[in-house]
Amino acid sequence: MNEGTPVFKSWTTAWLLMLPTVVILVIFLYYPAVQSFVLSLYRSNLILGTRRFIGLDNFRQLFSGLLAPMYRQVVLQSVVFSASVVILGLIVSLAFAMLANQKVTGSRFYRLLLIWPFALSPAIAGTIFSFLFNPQVGEVNQVLSRLFGIAPRWLDNPLLAFGLVVGAAIWKQLGYNVVFYLAALQNIPGELSEAAAIDGANAWQRFRAVTVPLLSPMTFFLVFTNLAYSFFEVFGLIDILTKGGPVGPSALHLDNAGLTTTMIYRLYQDGFGGTGSLGFAGAQGVILLLLVGVITVLQFRYGGRNVHYGGA
Amino acid sequence: MKRIVILFSLLAMLGSTALAQTKIDFFEAFSTERLQWIKDRAAEWNKQNPNYEIVVTPKASYRDVLNAAVLGARQGNPPALVQLFEVGSQQAKDSGLFIPAGDIPGSFDTSDYIKPVLDYYTIGGTVNSIPFNSSNAVMFVNNAMMQKAGLDPNNPPKTYSDVLNDCAALRAAGDTQDSCITFALHSWFYEQWMAEQNAPLVNNDNGRSGRATQVNLTSDASLNIVNWIKELNDKGYYTYTGKLEDWNGSEAIFTQGQAMFHIDSTSEVNAITKAGKDGGWGATTAELPIADNAPREGVVIGGASLWIAKGVPQDVQQAARDFALYMTNTQNMISWHKLTGYFPVRISSVNQLDQEGWFRDNPNYAVAFKQLLNTKSSSATAGALMGPFPQVRTIIEEGIQKVLNGASVDSAMGQAEKLANQALQQYNSNFQ
Repeated sequence: MNEGTPVFKSWTTAWLLMLPTVVILVIFLYYPAVQSFVLSLYRSNLILGTRRFIGLDNFRQLFSGLLAPMYRQVVLQSVVFSASVVILGLIVSLAFAMLANQKVTGSRFYRLLLIWPFALSPAIAGTIFSFLFNPQVGEVNQVLSRLFGIAPRWLDNPLLAFGLVVGAAIWKQLGYNVVFYLAALQNIPGELSEAAAIDGANAWQRFRAVTVPLLSPMTFFLVFTNLAYSFFEVFGLIDILTKGGPVGPSALHLDNAGLTTTMIYRLYQDGFGGTGSLGFAGAQGVILLLLVGVITVLQFRYGGRNVHYGGA
Repeated sequence: MKRIVILFSLLAMLGSTALAQTKIDFFEAFSTERLQWIKDRAAEWNKQNPNYEIVVTPKASYRDVLNAAVLGARQGNPPALVQLFEVGSQQAKDSGLFIPAGDIPGSFDTSDYIKPVLDYYTIGGTVNSIPFNSSNAVMFVNNAMMQKAGLDPNNPPKTYSDVLNDCAALRAAGDTQDSCITFALHSWFYEQWMAEQNAPLVNNDNGRSGRATQVNLTSDASLNIVNWIKELNDKGYYTYTGKLEDWNGSEAIFTQGQAMFHIDSTSEVNAITKAGKDGGWGATTAELPIADNAPREGVVIGGASLWIAKGVPQDVQQAARDFALYMTNTQNMISWHKLTGYFPVRISSVNQLDQEGWFRDNPNYAVAFKQLLNTKSSSATAGALMGPFPQVRTIIEEGIQKVLNGASVDSAMGQAEKLANQALQQYNSNFQ
């Protein structure tokens, strides 16, 4: 990086070129963010059109009182859900990208098939999974019961339901991750691996010590996009697949909310699920934004250290 | 003066011809063949009324219709006609965005509507919306399975104990694989079972004599229902997909022959009867089984009605009402009923269907219908009114699901009651 010599001589040019992006960000990102913060301080009902300032009451409701156990569980679930989607999702995507990167006949065809799920909307992905995994009449259980005589309760066994939503969310995002990993893999010069092989490194060692570090910029980028995806974009999928349920086992105190209710889904339910409690949903939006903000800062602080951009 | 009046009326006429075809937005929630039926009626009406054009806009769900209509109205562009689900009635009234159908100049004759339907949509003595698609809950019976279990399909279970006994018979006959009964985990059925016991869901006469402030989820009537579901579940008789409000999931379990009994909306009579015929096992309908010793007070209707926007010109309101009344006239309600299984909401339609011999030839509709007509008029069977009804439904469903997952009935319903009361209090505080 040539930090000493700016590309543009004057600030005006730089700002002028940034203007379109800034305008879009202000209109579609910053303004709504400020609005939802303001909204979170009101008792506001979409349907009644009422709006009254209540200070931090919406937040108080989330953290103390009757709804607090529910919200604690929802936040916990969200974090576990996102961590699973990001970590498992990237491992699986990398594995598929490595496979698709091999020079075999029909590799173009395989790549196309891998990318395909990304073209679907979350709602469609949810519908496909709900057909496949309907415990009584879904294809998956018909095959399983014929082969092994078992029919797992995908939607009301809490652990299976959670796993199913994680799996569906990963599957939906697979194409996106594979495309980026494939591009990155194809940019890794073959000599490096070759040199390591000559030095006696086996396939696993070459993967660990050469491929993974060289992929780290891409991984760093994908962690962000997947994090944003898992926190903000999955409500359509959840709505169709499980409607946020089932409630967890009482013995583990996980029965205050549906196990697959993430923060964004709960927000959606409160704001647009028929009662129009916009202020309450707004407060949840603010918390969600702060949480993701904190994770992002941490990621830049500590995750950034392990990123190798190659070159000098 | 006279000349000015003439001039103005001429101008007005000129204006109206220039403005020919005022658009009337109609938001509704049906898709596929039901949507097509609505579009066909709109096309017919548009042809007869060249000055107006009904524009049918389908939305994905009842909740989406409500949100979209409210947003449109708040932005100064309200849809003139809106199909709203029954539990949205209190919210629709409180929003102040709609005008009671009877307040629009012209005629809205309510004498031809079936009583339980009219009762539901009457709030404080005013009929707010025009009844359209109405249904209630019935039980479907797999005839072949009942016979295999040594039971008589002509004598379906009538009470909770009857159901448990028949389920035991199914197991005794050696069928350990199939479920005895399936129904979607939906608060609507719970509400029906409350009404059958003449138990209101909320206070203040089910929210009809004043704003509801308390739910009755821990009443004896409520516990009867949940205890029964728990027993069905604990004995392995009950099944569902695990998802709340999964109508299609439970229906699929039944139509694939994996359960002996099924509780569903009458709007599915057509589809399920056909599945029973095609599958060769025969599906018949029966009255909803109810709590032992309950008075069989009757059922609460479900479905949706047609609301007219306050914020549109009077002639548009009148046209919207006229179209709604056309779409729900005697003949059209007959064809709607035959297409879907939803009740014909008009007495004249029922009489005509009766004369045609429709109920005699289609006993599955007759059973469902008899149940509705035998419903006694009370605040319990009129159905509850409360603002946060959609939210309270989810609370009830999650409460029952906790019981299915092993929580005690008392603690689950106790917690549900607290949550629902808080939801009511929150909603009501919008008006203080």
